[in-house]
Amino acid sequence: MAGPTSNDPLAMRERLLAATYACVARVGIAKTTVEDVVRESGVSRATVYRYFPGGRDELMLETVGWELGHYLTRLGDHVRDEPDLVHLVESGLVFARRSLLEHAMLQRILQTEPDRLLGLLTTESAKTVPFIAAFLLPYLQREQAAGRLRANLDLDRVGEHLARMILSLIGTPGRWAYDDPVQLRALVTEELLGPLLT
Amino acid sequence: MDAVPVQAENTAGAAAARVLGAARTCIARFGVTKTTVDDVAREAGVSRATLYRLFPGKQPLLEALVTRELAALAVEIHEAAAATKCLDDLLVTVIVTAARRLEGHAALATVLAHEPEVLLPYLTFDGAGATLDRAGRVLAPLLAPHVGPDRSERAGEWVARMALAYLCAPSEVVRLTDPDSVRSLVTDFLVPGLIVNPSSQHDAPSRSTKRMTQ
Repeated sequence: MAGPTSNDPLAMRERLLAATYACVARVGIAKTTVEDVVRESGVSRATVYRYFPGGRDELMLETVGWELGHYLTRLGDHVRDEPDLVHLVESGLVFARRSLLEHAMLQRILQTEPDRLLGLLTTESAKTVPFIAAFLLPYLQREQAAGRLRANLDLDRVGEHLARMILSLIGTPGRWAYDDPVQLRALVTEELLGPLLT
Repeated sequence: MDAVPVQAENTAGAAAARVLGAARTCIARFGVTKTTVDDVAREAGVSRATLYRLFPGKQPLLEALVTRELAALAVEIHEAAAATKCLDDLLVTVIVTAARRLEGHAALATVLAHEPEVLLPYLTFDGAGATLDRAGRVLAPLLAPHVGPDRSERAGEWVARMALAYLCAPSEVVRLTDPDSVRSLVTDFLVPGLIVNPSSQHDAPSRSTKRMTQ
C-alpha cells in the first residue's frame, strides 16, 4: 500500500507545489516544465493535471502563492505576541523587510527573471490583502477596547486599508529606513496609524 | 554651440510632438513590445531618418514619451489643484484627477492588459521607490502650504503610495475615480496622518523627522 498521504488531496497538492518550488530553485521559472514536476514529485502526469488543470501556468501561480503563504505565516508568528498595534506593525515591518531581502530564491529570480516573477507575485500578493486584514482585525478590536482608537471607525475597512499600506511598505520602503527606530516610530505613528489612534 | 534658429526649433518641436503622439497611438494599438520605430514613423508621417534624428532609437523614444506623459499629468494635477482651498479638497482633486487620466489613457490600458511586465518594474519593489519619490516631488509644492515645506515631500510620497496601493490592487469598496469614495479615504485615513499635532503623545523626536524630510 502506498504511503498514508496518497489519498489526501492536501498532501498531494503540497507535494506538487514543493516539487515545483524545487524545480524553479534549480532551473528558474521559464525552464521548469510539467515533466520536471512529474519527475521531481514522482507523481504521474495525469495526477498533476487533475490537481492543476491549468498545467504549468497554474502550478507557477499556485507555487508563488504557496511560498507567499509560508512567508506570511512566519511574519504572523513573529508578531503575534506584540503588546499593541504600534509595536506589532513596527516589529512586522522590520521582520518582513529583512525576510524579503534574505529570501535567496526571491532575490535570485528578481535578478534573473523579473518579468515572469513580478506578474505572478503581483497577482498573488493582491490576494493577500484580505488575509493580512483578517490577521489585523483582532488587534484592532483590542486597540478599540482599550480606547486607543478614534471613535466610529469601521474596523473591517481600517484593516483592509492597513493591509494595503503595509504590503506597500514591505515591498517598497521608499524614503524610510526601518532599522532606524526613530524613523520607524514616526512612520508608524504618524503616516500609518496617525489617522486611527486617539 | 550654434544657436538654433527659432523657426527650425519650432519645426523640430512640432515634429517631435507629432512623433510622440504617433508613438502613443501605436502603443495603444499594438502594445510596447510589438511597436516598431517604423510603425511610429509611418503613423507620424515622417521619414525613418527624421525620426532617428529626433529620437535615436526605440528606447529614447519611449523614455521621451513617458517623460512627456508624466509632465502632462503633473500639469493637469497642478491646474486642477489650483482651485482648491483646504487640504481635503486638494487631495481628493489630486487623486481623482490622476486616477481618471491614467484610467482613460489608451496606451497605458493596452500595456496593463497585455504586457504588464513592461510596467511592473516601476510599480513594485525598489522601482516603485523611485516612482513614489518622483510623484512625491510633483505633489510637494501643492502640499507645502498645508503641511509645511519641511514635511511636504514626505507627505507627497505618502499620498502617492496610498494611490498606488489602491491602483495596483483594485478594491471592492474604494474607487479612485469616484470623488465621494476618495473623500472618505482622504478624511478617514490620510489627512489626520499628514497634519501632525506638535503636542502628539507619540515620542517621535523632531531630530530625525527633520533629517528624513530633507
